[in-house]
Amino acid sequence: MVLSQKLHEVYKGAMERFTPPRTVSAFKEKGVLSVDEFVLAGDNLVAKCPTWSWEAGDSSKRKPFLPANKQFLITRNVPCLRRASAIEEEYEAAGGEVLLDNDDDDGWLATHGKPKEKEAKADEEILPSLDALEISNRKTIQSISSHFGGEEEEDIPDMAEYEDFEGVTDPATLPTTYMVACEPDEDAILRTRTYDVSITYDKYYQTPRVWLTGYDESRRVLDLKSVMDDVSQDHARKTVTPGNHPHMSGDHVTVHPCQHAAVMKKIIDVLMSRGVEPEVDKYLFLFLKFMASVIPTIEYDYTMDFDLGTSNH
Amino acid sequence: MAESTVLQFSPFQSHVEEGFWKRLSSLKLNTLGLDETPVKITGFYGPCSHAQVSSHLYLLDESLPANLAEESSSSEMVLGNRNRCPIPGTLYNTNTLESFRGLDKQSLIRKEAKKIWEEICSGRVEAACAVLSRFLVISYADLKKWTFHYWFAFPALVLNPSALVSKLQPASEWFNLEEGKSLSEACNEWRKSSLTAAVPFFLVIITADSHVTLRPLKDWETCQRDGHKLLFGFYDPCHLPSNPGWPLRNFLAFICSRCKIEKIQFLCYRERHGLADLTHSLVGEALVSISQEWKNPQFIPEAVGWERNGSKLAPRRIDLATSMDPIRLAMSAA
Repeated sequence: MVLSQKLHEVYKGAMERFTPPRTVSAFKEKGVLSVDEFVLAGDNLVAKCPTWSWEAGDSSKRKPFLPANKQFLITRNVPCLRRASAIEEEYEAAGGEVLLDNDDDDGWLATHGKPKEKEAKADEEILPSLDALEISNRKTIQSISSHFGGEEEEDIPDMAEYEDFEGVTDPATLPTTYMVACEPDEDAILRTRTYDVSITYDKYYQTPRVWLTGYDESRRVLDLKSVMDDVSQDHARKTVTPGNHPHMSGDHVTVHPCQHAAVMKKIIDVLMSRGVEPEVDKYLFLFLKFMASVIPTIEYDYTMDFDLGTSNH
Repeated sequence: MAESTVLQFSPFQSHVEEGFWKRLSSLKLNTLGLDETPVKITGFYGPCSHAQVSSHLYLLDESLPANLAEESSSSEMVLGNRNRCPIPGTLYNTNTLESFRGLDKQSLIRKEAKKIWEEICSGRVEAACAVLSRFLVISYADLKKWTFHYWFAFPALVLNPSALVSKLQPASEWFNLEEGKSLSEACNEWRKSSLTAAVPFFLVIITADSHVTLRPLKDWETCQRDGHKLLFGFYDPCHLPSNPGWPLRNFLAFICSRCKIEKIQFLCYRERHGLADLTHSLVGEALVSISQEWKNPQFIPEAVGWERNGSKLAPRRIDLATSMDPIRLAMSAA
C-alpha cells in the first residue's frame, strides 16, 4: 500500500509536469478550477475577506503557471479556541454537513490507501517538484519538546547571565503573566491555539488545496496528534495527513484534494437545483465553507454573498 | 479627574517561520561564510485581527535577501501588504555559540535605539514611519546540528518619567456614533489603498462636524495648526482590552519630542474580519513630560526590549534537524 501510494505520487508528479494547466472552464461540469479561475476566485476572496492575502513564497519553488506574486493564499494566526472533537455532536446537530452527505459513508473522505496504513506511514506524500530540497520525507511532525529543544539544554545560556542588562525592571513593560489572556483563566489559555491556513492550487486535481500549521499558546508547532484534535473526527488521518507544502518550509498538514472536485460539483448541483447560479469567482467561499466541515473550530474568514439554501443559515 | 497610572505596554512577540532559517543557512553556506557583518532583514506585522490573540512580528523567507548582492534590488521583494507591514531589522549572526553568548546585548540594543532616536530627530520617521518599530535579532546557526539559537529585541526608548495614562477605553465608547462611523470608513479606506495599507502609524483628524480623516505623519504640523481634534493612531498588534501594544512606546517618544505634545490622545487600531473594529480598538490619553535631557542633541535615551522566553530573559532555540539534515532526510527517504 505504501508503495502504491508512492507510485501514485510519482505518477501525479509526472502528470503535472507534462500536462498543460487547465485553461478551459469546467467549473459547473466537474467542480474543478482552471488556473485563471483560481486566481480570479483568489482575488475575490482577498477583496471580500481581507485577512487572506496572496503570497509569492520561496522564489525557487515558484510555479510558472501562476503569477509570481499570486502563488498561494494565506491567513496567519487564526485562533482555534475549542477542540473539534469536543464539539462534534453539537456540530452535527446543527446540520453543518447537510450538503456534503453522501450515499455511502466514505463519500469524499476516502483516499488511496486504507486509513490505518496511512497513519503508520503518514507522510508519504511527496509533492511534485524539481527542487531537490522537496524530496524530504518526514516521519511525523515533531513533538513540541524535540522541535524546540529542551529548555534545560546545557548549551542554553543561563538566564542569570542576562539579568542585569535590562537594568531595573522597566515599569512601562507589561509583565508577561498578563500577556496571554485577558483574564487569568488558565483553561482558556490552554485552549487557545492558532493556525496558519494556506490555499494552494493543485494542478493534478485542478482544485484548491488547504494546508495547516498549528501552534500552541506559546507559539510552538503542534504535533500531528494535537492537530488531529482540531480536525473533524470523520476526516482525521484519512483525508487530513501531513504533507510538504509546495511553497513553504516547515511542518504542514493538508486536506487531501482527491475528492474536492466531486464534493464541489455536488455543492454546485445543489445550488443550481435551487435556482442559484453559482459564479466561478465565488468558488473559494463555497470551498472554504466546505472546508469548515473538516476543520470546524479554526476561525478563518469566509463570508457568503448568497444563501446556500441550507435551513440553518 | 481620573487617577493616572503608569501606562504599560504589551511587548511585541516574535515568530520565525522555518523558511527563514532555511534561507539563512544557505546564505551562510554560499555567501556569508565567516563574515559576521550585520545583515539587513525585514520583519512583518499587521494590526491585531482577532479579539483572542495578538499579532506577531514575523520573519519569513522573504525577510532575508536571497543573496546579498541582490540586496539593493530586493526592495521589490519585501513589498508589504495589509496583513504584513514591512519593518526594518538587523540580524547579527555569529559563527560560534561562544560569540553568540558573548555579544554585548546592552550595546546592541542601544545602537538600534540610537538609530531610532536619530530618525525621530532628523524627521526621517515622518517619511518612513515603520523605522519607529526597528528591531534586531542575534542568532547562531549551528549548521552541523541544524539548530538555531536566536533572540529578538524590540528596542523601546524609555521615557523618564514613564508615561501616565489617564483614560483608556474602547474606541466605540470614546467616539460619538457619527464619528465612529466616519472613523471606521476612513480606516477601512486607509487599509484598502495599496499606498497606505502597510503604513502602521497615522494621524486621525476629527472636524467639528464629526467628520474623520486619516493623514500621514508628515502632516502633523498642518494638522496641529488647523486646530481640529487630533489623535495619533497606530496598528496595534496587541489584543488586550487593558493595554496598548509595543509600537506605541516609540510613537509616544516621537510625538513628545518632535511634536512637543505632552497630553497625547492615541488610537490603538485593531480589526475583526479584516475591517476596523471599534469595540476592540482602544482610545487613550497619555501624559508625558519631556525631560530636560531629551532636549540635549547629544542625548540618547535608554532602551529596553529584549524578548522574554516564557517569563525569563533568555534566548530561544529551535531544532530543525528532522527537516534540514541531509543525512537524516536521506535515511528517512530510504
